[in-house]
Amino acid sequence: MSAIPLSWYLGLAAALFAVGLFGVITRRNAVAVLMGVELMLNAANLNLVAFWRYLRPGVMEAPVFVLVVVTIAAAEAAVGLAIVLSVFRNFHGVEVERLDLMKQ
Amino acid sequence: MSANLQYALFAVVAASVLVPALLVVTSRNLVRAGFWLLPVFLGVAAAFVLLGADFLAAVQVLIYAGAITVLLIFVLMLTRGAGNPQVRQSNRMIPWALLLSGAVGVLTAFVLGREFWPVTTETPVPGFTRALGEGLLTTWLFSFELASVLLLAAMVGAIVIARREEP
Repeated sequence: MSAIPLSWYLGLAAALFAVGLFGVITRRNAVAVLMGVELMLNAANLNLVAFWRYLRPGVMEAPVFVLVVVTIAAAEAAVGLAIVLSVFRNFHGVEVERLDLMKQ
Repeated sequence: MSANLQYALFAVVAASVLVPALLVVTSRNLVRAGFWLLPVFLGVAAAFVLLGADFLAAVQVLIYAGAITVLLIFVLMLTRGAGNPQVRQSNRMIPWALLLSGAVGVLTAFVLGREFWPVTTETPVPGFTRALGEGLLTTWLFSFELASVLLLAAMVGAIVIARREEP
């Protein structure tokens, strides 16, 4: 049995999630906002694997869910970056505060 | 492994995740911020190894450290002004963002960190990758197929969205 308590991993994941949230709120560049989202998804994966190891190591549902989350992160990165490229072509910049067409 | 060695390894992993993560969200040069993602993803992979999920660590290195980082840096270089440290990269929400993310982090750590989880002393079955593969192709076959359809849709969607329209 591992000597590290479960709460250490949960604390690490909470800190990583908070850092990612800070990045999502404060960044102006859309690609940097996506970087913050990736940090938050990583924190969620860390939580899932920690719970799997400490609570139900005999059942593989958490690792399967982590694989699905990684798939969704890859899909989100591909589509998100395609949207960023399209925005760059139409607005000549990728700052998120420029994308206020719906407000006008 | 002895307990002290595990504590030391966890400290190294936590430092190699949190310090670069802070640099990712604060660095003025976005290309550097993109490269600081690498130690974060590798640190999370090391945490997966510490937790006994070796196949997930390999997936993490391949997809996050390999594919997603490269894709992010690629788009940073395709769009203008990312490597220019003169351009301000943060908006004026920093105090509110500090307050909100600090509150979320402290509350999450406080609620999840209480020792009420029914922690088992069970160790995982040997052969993590084999058990995961069997699970994927039997019990969780539907989510596996759903993920593959999602990847196909994302691929087609990315091509359609990023394509230059003919005039």
